[in-house]
Parts: sequence; C-alpha cells; structure tokens
Amino acid sequence: MIRMDSLTFCYSGASIPALKDINLEIGDGEFVLVTGPSGGGKSTLCRCLNGLIPHFHGGRITGRVEVGGLDVIKHPTKELATTVGMVFQDPENQLVAMDVEREIAFGLENLAFPRDVIAKRIEESLDTLGISSLRYRPLHELSGGEKQKVAIASILALHPDIVVLDEPTSELDPKGAEEVLSIVERLNDELGITVVLIEHRLDRVIHLVDRVIVMHEGRAIADGGARDIFDNGEIADIGVGIPPIIKLVQKLKQKGVSLDNIPLTVKEGRVMLEKVFRERGRKTLPQDERVKGKPIIEIENLWHVYPQGLTALKNVSLRICEGEFVAIMGRNASGKSTLVKHVNGLLKPTKGRVRVAGIDTREATIAEMAQRVGYVFQNPNDHLFADTVQEEVAFTLKNLGYRGREIASRVDEMLERFNLKEYSRQYPRSLSGGERQRVALASVLVAHPQVLILDEPTRGMEYRLKSELMQFLEEYRDRGNTVILVTHDVETVAEHADRVILLGEGRVVVDGSKRDVLSQALLFSPQVNRLVQAFEKYGVPGDILTADEALDLLI
Amino acid sequence: MISFRYQDKGTAIHKLNPFCKLAWICGVLVLALLFDNPLYLLALFVSTLPLVWAARVGKEWASIMKLSLYLCLLVIVINALVSNQGSHVLYQFPFHIPIWGTPKITLEAILCGIGNAVRLTAIISAFAILTLTLHPDNLMLAMIKMKLPYKSVLVTSLATRFVPTLIDDIGTITDVQQSRGLELNKGGLRQKIRGRMTIIIPLLSNSLDRTFQVAEAMESRAFGNGAKRTFYNRIGMSAVDIAILAFLFLLLAMGISMSLLGQGEYSYYPTLGGMNIGLLEGLMLSILALLLFMMLPLAYLKRRIDLD
Repeated sequence: MIRMDSLTFCYSGASIPALKDINLEIGDGEFVLVTGPSGGGKSTLCRCLNGLIPHFHGGRITGRVEVGGLDVIKHPTKELATTVGMVFQDPENQLVAMDVEREIAFGLENLAFPRDVIAKRIEESLDTLGISSLRYRPLHELSGGEKQKVAIASILALHPDIVVLDEPTSELDPKGAEEVLSIVERLNDELGITVVLIEHRLDRVIHLVDRVIVMHEGRAIADGGARDIFDNGEIADIGVGIPPIIKLVQKLKQKGVSLDNIPLTVKEGRVMLEKVFRERGRKTLPQDERVKGKPIIEIENLWHVYPQGLTALKNVSLRICEGEFVAIMGRNASGKSTLVKHVNGLLKPTKGRVRVAGIDTREATIAEMAQRVGYVFQNPNDHLFADTVQEEVAFTLKNLGYRGREIASRVDEMLERFNLKEYSRQYPRSLSGGERQRVALASVLVAHPQVLILDEPTRGMEYRLKSELMQFLEEYRDRGNTVILVTHDVETVAEHADRVILLGEGRVVVDGSKRDVLSQALLFSPQVNRLVQAFEKYGVPGDILTADEALDLLI
Repeated sequence: MISFRYQDKGTAIHKLNPFCKLAWICGVLVLALLFDNPLYLLALFVSTLPLVWAARVGKEWASIMKLSLYLCLLVIVINALVSNQGSHVLYQFPFHIPIWGTPKITLEAILCGIGNAVRLTAIISAFAILTLTLHPDNLMLAMIKMKLPYKSVLVTSLATRFVPTLIDDIGTITDVQQSRGLELNKGGLRQKIRGRMTIIIPLLSNSLDRTFQVAEAMESRAFGNGAKRTFYNRIGMSAVDIAILAFLFLLLAMGISMSLLGQGEYSYYPTLGGMNIGLLEGLMLSILALLLFMMLPLAYLKRRIDLD
C-alpha cells in the first residue's frame, strides 16, 4: 500500500517545486502506469516511493509518503530496499558487478543475508526471468534487453512488495522492450507484486494496466482507468503520446460518430470499428506523389568487414535522391549504423563504392564530407562540450574553415531557427533534454548539409518533442534536402517518411515506398494498418498507415 | 580488438586459487628485485612462459609484452645516457657538465640497462598473466580477506566494470566530433589538444552523470546498510591450495637465503663482473629453477584433484 498525503517537493536550488500537493493511494497488487510530458514530475514521484527523495536527492519536502506502513521521510532508501525495488532507465548504469550471478547477489549481500538464502534467491530470480543461461556471463557482453532483465532479477531477489520502473524500455530495441514489458506484466499477474511503471509508448502497455496517472507540471492531472483517461481529448494537448487507434476513435467521436467506448488493443479496435468501416470505408485515398530530385547518394556493391572479422554489410546497392525522407529499419546488428556511417565517410567501403554528391567517400576526409552530410547521433550529450550554446554551434563551422562574420550570421540563423536565442550564452549541458537535442541538431545543420542522417533520434523521446523534430525534418526535406532516419519506431516512420529500407543480416531485405513496406505485415505494421487489414473485404484500402489517413477515409 | 581483460578460458591456470596467484606474483616480484644477475632474471622470465601457454592467453600476453618492449627500450636508452660509470667508453660527448663531468656512453651502462630491462620484462609478464587469468571480483574478494577496506576495494572493482563502457563512449564521441568536421591530426600541438578536449569533455561529463545514476541504483539495493555485509562468493582454501601456498613460501625462502648468501649478485661497473658460479650456487640455482617451473605441474595437479 502506497499513500501520499499533500506531498510537495522542491529540489535544492530549484525555484519551482517538482511535485505539487500530490494525494495518491495505490492499493496492493495494482498495476499503475505513470505518464506525461518530460519535466512533469514522473521520475520525481517514483523516487519518493523508495526514499531516494529526500534521502539521496536533497530538497524541501512537505506532506507525507507512506509505503508498506513505513514513513519514507523517516526511513532511508536502504531500509526500504526490501519493500520497494527500483529499476532505472539505463540498464548500463544500474549494474555494479562483473557477472550476472554476482549482480543478483549484490543487494542480498548488502542486507547480510546468509549464503544459503542468497543461493536460493539467485536461483529463483534467474528462473523467474528465464535468464539462467546468462548466469556466469560478464555483464558487458549482454544486450540492453538482457541487462535490463538482470536489473529486474537483482531487484526481485530482494522480494519487494512493490516494483517501480522508471522508463525501463526507453534505451532498448523493440524486441528487448517487448520482453521486458511482458516480464513486468508477469510480476504483477503471477506474483501479485504492485507495479508502478513510467512509460512513453502507451500502445504497448495500456491494455495491461489497472490505472493511469498523468503527471504534468508537478501535479497528477488525471488518475483513473485507461478508458476513462483517454475518453477526454485534453490529455493529448499536454503532449502525451496517444496510441493511434485511440486517437482515431477520439477524432471519430469528435466528428459525431457514435462509439461508446475506447479500444485499447487492435483486437478491440477491430470489433468496435467494424461497423464504421463497413458503412463508410469505400473512398480511395489520394496517392501521395512526391517529385524526387536527382540522385545524391549512390551506393554500389558495398561490402564492409570490421577489423575483428565481422561482415556487417554484404553487397548493398542503393540510390537515394534529393528530397527523399528515407527510414532505415531492421533488427539490432543488422547493419543500419554501419551503412549510414559510410555516407559521411566515418567508415570506408571494404569493397564497392559510395558516392555522395558525386564525391567518392574514399577520396574525401570526414571533414570534407561534413560539408555535405550532417550526422546527428542518438545521445545529444555526446555532442556537447563547449561553454556556451553559441560556441557549440560555431565549432562545426570553425572546423570547416569558416571565419568571422560568416560564422556569426550562420550561428545566429540556426539559434533563431531552433528557438535557442535566449540560451545562446548558457552552458549547453544544463539545458533540458529537448533543448539539448535542438542544440545538437543546430550544431550539425549550421554547415547547411544536403543530407542529414539521424541515428535513432526518437529513442526514449517523449511525444511532443518527437513531433516537433519530425515537423522540422519534413520542412528540411521539402527544401530539396535528403533525410535518412535510422529507427525502430514504426509509427513515426508511417507518419513522416517516404521510403523504407529494411536491412537484415547486412543485406537489403526490402526497399520501397513506406506503403508497400509497412502495410500487410504482422508486428512490423503500424497499429492502424493492423486494424484495417481486417476490413479489406469491405473495400478499405489495405495500405492505410496512420490515424489521420483512416480519418480522411471515413469522414 | 584483442581484449586485455579477464576472460574465463577454464584452464588450470584460471582455476588456480586467487591467493596462490597473488602469492606467486609476490614471489616473482621479490625474486626479481633481489637478484641482479641477468641469468637469474632471464630464468625468472622464462619460468612465466609455460603459464602463458597453459592459460591459452598467448595473443593477449604478446600484445601486452609488445607494449612493454617500448618501456624496455626507454630504460636502456636512459640508462646509457645518464649513467656515467663504466670503463669501456663507446662515445664521449664533446661537452662538459659541471659537477657531473663529461657525459659518455659506456658498454657497461648499455648492458646494465639491458639487465634491468630483463628484470622489468619478467615482472610485466607475471602481471600480465595475473590480470588475464584472475577474475576481478575474485581479486576483490581476496583483497577483502586480506583486510583491505570493502569500500575502497569496491571502488576499484567498479572502475574496472566501467572500462568497456568508457571505451564504447570514446568511440561514439570521436565519431560525433569527426562528423562535425573535427580533424584529430591536423594542426600544431595546441590545436590537437583542443581537438582532443572536444572528446574528453563529453566523456567526463557523461561519466559524471553515470556516477550519480550508479549511486542511485546502489542505494536502492541497500548499499551501505549498517549491518555487516555477507559475501556470497567465497574463496575456499582446499588442502592442495594450502600445499601450493606452502610451496610458494619455500620458493621465496630459497630465493631469500640465496640472496643472503650473496648469490645472484652481479656488478656491471666499473667493468662487467664475471659469471663464475660455484658448486653450491649452481646447485641452489638449479633447485630454484626447478621450483620456479613447478608452478604449472602444481596447477594441473590441483585441477586433477578438484575434478576428482
């Protein structure tokens, strides 16, 4: 049982409280989803549950938090460890031992459990998570998903009544995320553990949870069952990513279609919307014809073998044109990053040829390529080193040999474009996540490249920031530039890309328009497409991908 | 890339008790420092080779030794330049330094450098074997058993734990900055340093962020709990392990007594000393060499007994 009475918390040094007057009660065995835009207080709320606030992160706290009968303000985190287990976002940064077995033992050793109990707990935790084959493996050899499972196992070994997970899937690929979430479901279903989960990607969990709490500006602005929460459209306005099917139903309701409920899964959606599609779904969609420019990236018979002997690309041939928005998809280690690193010359072909704007990448330095190809990496923190935002953006131009006034005017233009003017004299790393991403983007685009590569920019990104970024990328493409997006995010691709290249084991498996590639697939299709696949018999086009397209068809 | 880290290859050397390995490395270190005779030092180095072979770490060991070769070269050059002793002058510098005298390069100084390089090589080889075959957590456990404070030991172990992450980070950040047009090898020293800073600053800042997150996670798992900590893994001491330890002490005692008897001494200056080894010394040296080479059979013996 968790109870919060008029809880208010303000981090030391901050002027605005991170939590304002929270009153909550979470019963035993509940599965609670906490969501909302970043900076809304989700993580802060969770850290109050195991005493990291106020014992680890100092600040001013008023009100009361009681977990399993213990007053959190009086009991430090280590005393709460057997009551509340906490799993964090980055699997890398919560593991302390060298191998799996020792990792699981760590918490138990700290609590001075006898060795035979530790042995038993290790055994059962490994089995519960199905990772006994990893037992003696060094942690640095495991995948992100496996590491996250080890983190959960090491929490579970302490037999907590409550497990709190702070965005456990945001650093994982879809397969890892799926596995972690199904384990979380089992913790709740089969072991009866109370689960508090923070998550952005609602479509994967919404049907599993008993209750949704939406945090915004330090307050719990909504609290209730998933269907009730999403029945009002206001949640979308504050930037919560609504699953496409729910969005479709919300919009249909607004247009006066009478639907009495909100579907949480594709299955429910098919039942609920069958009548609507049968009666109205006959219009054909206007085909999106985009005029392509001339080829800018030409890849011919590209092979790449890493020095360790791994053949990452096998005979890849591609041609990408000006004005194209290309998504590169595929499993982890399918060769996505290896491929795009050839475009800006970070990697050179082992065999074959890569030409960008007519330049063979083997004959140019990476710096020369940087004039034409911009590359934004996943973590903006890897970009940022300068003392001010302005210097950060200017750095790229200085490298490329620009001087004085040219630099100043271009930097100004970029800061303006990305709404960073007011921060130009600030330390980039002190900005919020979304702002840091914009600085990283500005620092690459200031060179006016014709090709922009983004490597998983939306991983773990909240909905509002994601749509801002995508809007910008579309504008940039519309000016005749080329965008290459490496991603796992099917919904984003469905909405914004033109073309999808699917890689598998270092080869191009499919290459075509997003409609051809993303429709009629199983899990790989976006949610709305999986919905309409059942309605093709009524003449509904089977290549509808997004909620807006479905809406156009029906209204 | 060849990994310089521990990898469990399951050989008899890997399975040796951590205390025995630590005792062995202490033995090699002490003997290497006691003896000056290059013959003795060479024997010490050669005695580490069978272990490399048995532990199947040849490749990794070789790349570590390649690095140590540079160090040896440095030792030889510096000794030759700095040492002013020796009677066979190969080259005399045409200037004079007050108090010091006229600097010169002598045959004896070069040979003395080589002798010390052999000493260094023996020590590095032994340490290479240790790091490649001893699980860091077992090293940690052994250190705690030897009454070193747990927290300091844990910090060391955490630092090792994050080395691979750090290496990955360096790779990514270098890619990032090169993609922004940074040219690492362009310009003078100052520009190069400034270029490296664009990699080092994000690296350090990211590590700092990581520190906080790791601390949070450790706190959540009751780290620093008042009660005495238990250790799940234990280094058991079997009769064989004790026997091996005893044997290593015998080896050490042998070495020390030889050194006390004045054996294994050697002087390079003013002229090279002779190598005449007397009957007693020859006998003792053979026994010492025999003992040194017993490490491998003992490791096999221990494995045999463990398996039975």
